[in-house]
Formats: sequence, structure tokens, C-alpha cells
Amino acid sequence: MGLLSIIRKIKRKEKEMRILMVGLDNSGKTTIVLKINGEDTSVISPTLGFNIKTITYQKYTLNIWDVGGQKTIRSYWRNYFEQTDGLVWVVDSSDLRRLDDCKLELDNLLKEERLSGASLLILANKQDIKGALTPEEIAKVLNLEAMDKSRHWQIVGCSAYTGEGLLEGFDWLVQDIASRIYMLD
Amino acid sequence: MEDETEKQKQKKHSAMLERLSKRGQTRSTNPESSAESTSSFFSRFSTLKTSIESQLDQSQSFSSDPTNLKLHFQSISQSISDLEKLVAENSYLLPSYDVRTSLKTVSDLKNSLENLTNQLIPKRKFSFKNKPTKKDDKDTAIPQPKQPSQLSTLDTRLAVRESPGFRNKVGEVLVARFRGSEVGEFAVSDLDSCEVRILGSVRALFVHRLKNSRVSVGPVTGSVLIEEAEGCVFVLASHQIRIHAARKCDFYLRVRSRPIIEDCNGVRFAPYCLSYRGIEEDLRGAGLDTETGNWENVDDFRWLRAVQSPNWLVLPESERVGIVDLSNLKNGDEEI
Repeated sequence: MGLLSIIRKIKRKEKEMRILMVGLDNSGKTTIVLKINGEDTSVISPTLGFNIKTITYQKYTLNIWDVGGQKTIRSYWRNYFEQTDGLVWVVDSSDLRRLDDCKLELDNLLKEERLSGASLLILANKQDIKGALTPEEIAKVLNLEAMDKSRHWQIVGCSAYTGEGLLEGFDWLVQDIASRIYMLD
Repeated sequence: MEDETEKQKQKKHSAMLERLSKRGQTRSTNPESSAESTSSFFSRFSTLKTSIESQLDQSQSFSSDPTNLKLHFQSISQSISDLEKLVAENSYLLPSYDVRTSLKTVSDLKNSLENLTNQLIPKRKFSFKNKPTKKDDKDTAIPQPKQPSQLSTLDTRLAVRESPGFRNKVGEVLVARFRGSEVGEFAVSDLDSCEVRILGSVRALFVHRLKNSRVSVGPVTGSVLIEEAEGCVFVLASHQIRIHAARKCDFYLRVRSRPIIEDCNGVRFAPYCLSYRGIEEDLRGAGLDTETGNWENVDDFRWLRAVQSPNWLVLPESERVGIVDLSNLKNGDEEI
């Protein structure tokens, strides 16, 4: 029995998924996690380091790693890559000026071998703000169509402020991971 | 013969010393000359740059002649390091943005040289010499890493629309009123010696590249992101505030969460002090009607230690501006 299948079996028992949330600073990662978990989102300081949340979602347990996006600490993202089942890339759709930065960081991330098997959910956040780019426009700017064909990915517009779109996004992510890891169910 | 060259050397040396001392003088006595030297730097920089680029373009013609090709690449590499030196020497005079873009150009040139070198001078493959030759076939069959051909697609920048805002002004008073209307993001960028007054609420505020300006803003219900500011005064209320690359700026803040700074220097903080007719209502509507005291709970991402960061301090009370009152603006002010 290969190591991979052993790991799969262990995971299957626990029905556990490891989700990594990354993106530029000010994109709303922490707000999204708290909103999904039904917590108060009115006072959130920019993340120094990281937060871990364990959430029961449908029949699965999600371990969500929410890692700070400030430039200084982006180099630490790599410490969280191991065993990531799902990658959530959060975009501030109202920050038109830094979309280039956003694309650059995402491209770098996707080169990472340890993340090559992870399902990728792109959340085009802050759709509630007037003037924000639509998910379609974000997909174009990030050139998502050019991504590796083997990657499972999806882009969803959302608002961490109103909660809109979050469940849709996470539903897709969880289903996609489940179909890969818990195939035998 | 040797004496002569020695003399020449000395002559050169003393001439250089003289030049240097003159340069030092003009620098200390006449700061206005910096603009002149900046423009001369740019012209030299661009001449060097174009010559390197054309040299790079010529590289293909040497491809049949490996020894000349190597020499050619060496000379390009020399020119690039000269260019780098030129930037380094002028970094003292140039605005930080220009230093960065110039360094970016240098590193881009270096990259294209490296790419060309890899392309035209194939690296010797590592192999075990005593292995049977059959295996060599396998070695060469190792899949190559992805070609850099995708780089070109990277440049296909989309013509992204601009958000509403104030941009590219010098020495103006810029006023916006957003009373009662829901406004999304607002951008304030590339201003020099301006006074910006925003009355009412916006959802998100982006500030970029400001010099010697004052920015007073009603409550921001989302977040504020400031990048590159020098010699400015900000009066802001918001749920979140992030400040990057600010130098010698004062911030009068009311924040629901902890404000953060990154790559900042000489920034000072004090409590919010804005006033205009109806501000209490706006603040209440944004959930910012009570002082949280967070204006002094600054996190410095460049100083993750328990002791106070050297990059910021609390603005002494004696040096604070009083109340910034925007109530008495004349109707003739620019409105959008």
C-alpha cells in the first residue's frame, strides 16, 4: 500500500480538509473566515501572523489557515503549504491599482509544487463596493484561463461584508476536494 | 615611458578630486541644482539603457561564434553594472520611486541578458562519464522546465477602468462631498502640495504617492490603504488602516482595529480631530462615534518585537493641530 493511499485512508476517517487562505493584504481573508463561522466582523485588525479556525461544514471538518497578507510576511506563506487540500485566493475587487501585484503573487504561488494538487478557489471579494470589478473581469486580469489544465479551479464573486457568495464558493471547494480525496464514498 | 603614465595617472587623480569637491559644494549650497542633475541622470540613464538593449538585440548575430559571443555578453554585463553604479550614485538625489523604477530596469536588463545567455550558450549537462552511452539518451529525454514563452502573455495588461478620485495635481484644494449618497471606493493619488477634503462617508479609500499634502476625510466604513506618502498630514476615521512606505507624516486617526505600518519611518500618531456640520451623524452611521483609543496601538510589521518601534511615535500634544474644521467651506469649492 502506497503512502498516499494510507494518508487518504486516514483522512477519510476524519473527513478532514486543510484549507489555506492567502491573498494580498486588505483583501478580506480574516473577515471571510469569521463571516463563514458566524462571528462578529466589525472589529478586525490586520493579521499579524496567522489564525486557525476549525469549522464543521456539511459532513466535513475544515481546518482553515488564514495567513496575513502584508508584504513583510508573505515570505512566510510557504510554511503553510504542506498537505493543503484547498487553496483560497482572496482578491480585493475594488483595489484596481494593485491587481498587477495580485496577479504576480498568485502566479508565484501556483508554481509551488507542494500546492500543485490543491483545488483553487478564487474569491473576488468586496462585490458590495460600488465600482468593484466583476468576477469575470478579475478572471481576465488574472489570466486564469491560461492556468495549468490539471488544476481544479473556480472563481466566485463574494462580499464578506454581506456574506453573499461565500457559501457558493466554499460549497464548490469542499465538493471538489471531496471528489478527489473521498472518492470511495 | 613609465614616468609619463604615472604623471598622467596623477593628473587624472587630482582632476577627479577637484570634480568631487566641486560636486560636494554645489550639493551643499544649491539644492535647486538637484532637479538639473536628476534630468541629466535620466538622459544618461536612457542612453545607456538603449545602447544595452541594442547590444542585446545584436546577440543573435554572434550565435555562430561562441568565443565572440562570450566576449559580447561580458561587455553587456559590464555596461549593465555601469548602469547600476550610475543609479547607485544618484540614488541620493532621486525620489525613491525613481530609484525603484531605475533599479527595476536594471534587473530587467540583467534578466534578459541571463535568458539570452541560457538560450545561446547551452549549459553543459551533468552526467556520469563512465556510464554506458545508452543511458545518455535517457538523460537528454528529461523534460525541460516550462519555456519562458508565457512571459509575453503577462504583459497583456487589461485596460482596467479607473475608480473615482483625485489624481495628478499640484498645489490645489480638492473637495468632495458625499453626503447622503453611497459611494464605493475613492482614490487619491499622485498629488503634490495639495489639500484634500472629503466630507461624508466612502466605503474604501486608496491613497498612493502623495507629497507635502493634507488629507482630511470623513468616516470610511471599510478600510484605508496608504502607500508612499512623504511630508503629509492625514486626518482619517476608518474600520481598518494600513500604511505602507510613509515618511515624515502625521496621522490623526480614529480606528476600530489596530492601525498598521510597514516600511515607514518618522510617522507620528494622534487622535482624530475632524469637524464639519453633520460629522457626528456620519460617524454614528459608520460605527465610528466612540473613541477606541486604537490610534496609538500601532503595529509595525517591520518591527515585530516587544520594545517600541523606532519608526513611529505618539505626536506630542503641544505639536498637534487643533480641530480641523471644514464647516465653513465656500460654495465655490470644486465639487464632484
